[in-house]
Amino acid sequence: MISLQLASLLTAGSLMVIGAVAVIFIDNLIKKVIALSFIGDGVNLFLVTLGYKPGGIVYIYLPGMSGSWFAQNAAYPLPFALVLTSIVIGASTLAVMLGIIIVLYHKHGTISASKVLEE
Amino acid sequence: MNPLIPVMVVLPILCALLLNLLHGRDRTVKALAVAVAVLLPVIPLLAGYGVHYFGGYAPLSENSTIAAGLPGSIKSSYLYSFHPAITYVFGSAQRIFLVILSVVTFLAVLTSLNEVRRPSGVYAFLMFMGTAAVTAIVLTDDIFNLYVFFEIAALAQVGVVLCSGVERNYETALKYMMIGGVAAPMLLLGVAILLALTGNVNISDIVYSMRSGLVNPGSPLFLLASALLIFGWLYGTGLPPFHTIKSAIYSKALPHGSALLQAFSVFTFTALAIVILRMFYHVPLVRWVMVFFSLAGMVLGISMALMQTDLRRMIGFLAVGELGYIGIGFGLGTAASISAGLFQAVNEALITACIFLGFGTIFYMTGKTDPEDIGGLMAYKPGLAGLVMLSGFIMAGVPPFNVFQSKLRLIQAAIQAGVPELGILMILLSIVTFMTFMRAFYSVYLKPEPKGMELESRSVPRSTVFSMVVLIIICTVLGIAPWLATSHFTALIQGLII
Repeated sequence: MISLQLASLLTAGSLMVIGAVAVIFIDNLIKKVIALSFIGDGVNLFLVTLGYKPGGIVYIYLPGMSGSWFAQNAAYPLPFALVLTSIVIGASTLAVMLGIIIVLYHKHGTISASKVLEE
Repeated sequence: MNPLIPVMVVLPILCALLLNLLHGRDRTVKALAVAVAVLLPVIPLLAGYGVHYFGGYAPLSENSTIAAGLPGSIKSSYLYSFHPAITYVFGSAQRIFLVILSVVTFLAVLTSLNEVRRPSGVYAFLMFMGTAAVTAIVLTDDIFNLYVFFEIAALAQVGVVLCSGVERNYETALKYMMIGGVAAPMLLLGVAILLALTGNVNISDIVYSMRSGLVNPGSPLFLLASALLIFGWLYGTGLPPFHTIKSAIYSKALPHGSALLQAFSVFTFTALAIVILRMFYHVPLVRWVMVFFSLAGMVLGISMALMQTDLRRMIGFLAVGELGYIGIGFGLGTAASISAGLFQAVNEALITACIFLGFGTIFYMTGKTDPEDIGGLMAYKPGLAGLVMLSGFIMAGVPPFNVFQSKLRLIQAAIQAGVPELGILMILLSIVTFMTFMRAFYSVYLKPEPKGMELESRSVPRSTVFSMVVLIIICTVLGIAPWLATSHFTALIQGLII
């Protein structure tokens, strides 16, 4: 049985590959944007996986914990903090892209990338 | 700690947010935007050199109170100098970059406010937000913080394009964002791999880990991380394969917007190249990859500029092509070449802004961008034509201006580094740049006026002419006294070269 960390890494890799393939081959603009969010989510999952510690605890120092026990068992918190910021950035980018697609839909009457984005 | 260091980022962000809220109150927007734009170049001039730790969390080595009670095992370990907070570093090189960026921002804001009847708070918001983001990119010593502001800068650039009202600007903006939707996560993946290998996102700490043997700098994963960072660098700056979309972005913005966007690209280019060199200077392959893409950018950018029939697109490609010179300076990796590359970055930010503003006046007067539809403008505005011609001379590297100095230094550095072929190519491409520019200049100003050409305006705003004159004066001063800029790079270069 594969470990949770390895499974997460494989899932992250799969998300990125599926996203990249979909961005290239799918013509629908909305689906392209979903594919882009797959890539971003894959990277976020990769970051979360870095901070995973088997049997570890969340990085919150509670009363009753000894310093050395906490240091040995707490997961590394930095990746989680980074992912939080990354999610916010991803959401903002996604919102702007979808907003542009709405405008382009009203202008062209379609969300086909080959029709909307052709020169 | 120097309190003025975070102010360089916080002030434009606050100003941007206020401008957005005040949209519609024209006089207030105008007054606030001009006041903050004037203040921006002053802050880096007044600020002393130093570092700023957000939250006040300095490394243990700089905190004598805490350090006194620490066991020897920590004092002798790497943890003693570890940076726990996001750190901004302000040195002499950062000072010159930020002064130039702020001057371009000031002139772009001034021009934009005077070229329209009703100033847009939203447009000014985007200009200041972009400036804040690029300022943070220049200052930060934290690679994740760099990624965050890299994304904010990209969003601000897209916003500037969306506000332009130029035909097909939405389509171009979406394309740019979609490509960014792949490139930015790749940059983040590079950051994540560095975090996985070193446990850190502080650039100084990562470099320390690599140079002191805490981690194996020869690990293939480091090469993968460098490739991903370079991919992000290519996207952010518009080197191949992103040269077409980047030049399209320039051409779909208003002239003052393009002037600012290219300054963003130049300083993002420089800041990311410095980060990549700091981490991977010991890997010659990384430097040669930088040279390869920079050379490709020069050749493709300048040759595609030669083929364009749209003035804005032509200048867009020229701007991308000129970026290659900076990259070659970094890629060669000698002290002389890096200094020349940094000097070229400063010069390019100035002169390309001037050219965008200059050609913007043509669009302002005629409403057209195809040289076939325009001609004989010399008769209407001989003084302005002189300024535009002077800008072209400066960009091509005609003495005694600043670009001549930096290109000459780059060529000398290429010869000293044992690659004279690069020097010859740089000379040839400068000649092609000159030819491209002169062809456009002839079409617009010297060729007889086409039948039926109607001027939308016989005058151009004084602020535009003022901005061009200021930029040309700075270029001339830096051409006559290049040490005013180059003397600021010494400390940075010493930290880069192993």
